[in-house]
Amino acid sequence: MKNRLKQLRAVHGLSQGALAARLDVSRQTVNALENGRYDPSLPLAFRIARLFDASIEDVFEDQATSSGKQKPRPDQ
Amino acid sequence: MRIGRFYREFGLAMLAYAIVSVISLKILGAGVDNQTLRTLISVSPVVPICAVCWTILRNIRRVDELQRAIQVEALAFSLAGTAIITMGYGFLESVGYPRITMFAVWPLMAVLWTIGLFYGERRYK
Repeated sequence: MKNRLKQLRAVHGLSQGALAARLDVSRQTVNALENGRYDPSLPLAFRIARLFDASIEDVFEDQATSSGKQKPRPDQ
Repeated sequence: MRIGRFYREFGLAMLAYAIVSVISLKILGAGVDNQTLRTLISVSPVVPICAVCWTILRNIRRVDELQRAIQVEALAFSLAGTAIITMGYGFLESVGYPRITMFAVWPLMAVLWTIGLFYGERRYK
């Protein structure tokens, strides 16, 4: 799934490590999310949206409705 | 940090395993007449091995969702690979190939698990 995680993180002045700590996940997970290599579970998606004071739709873009090329997911 | 805690717990359990193994071998080497006692002493390292397994399971429960997914995939790869290799070699033993001790199974699983983790982590980079 496309997402705006990297932009939101930059706007809030957070490093990947800092964001990972706030979300209680590993930095590897944040990196994978930003690169579109991993889609979060619903609870994690809600935590991310709440952290950035945004809706899930503001953070994540459904692949079915997005346009443009996507990096293929590992399981595709 | 979670990973530091895991290595500490895992390290202590492995140390316990090494100590119990050495002591049990020394005792058995000195000679134990009683068969029941010999059996109990020889399997005593299994107790710290259970602790090692417990630390691994605890760590898998503690890590985040992506790491858990990577671990599960790596374990599935290790399980499948170990099944294929041990079953395959079992057939070879039946046609005269040298018998290999059961002690070889765990190192094989560990190597395949490590390979599975390596490729699993690369997929999500």
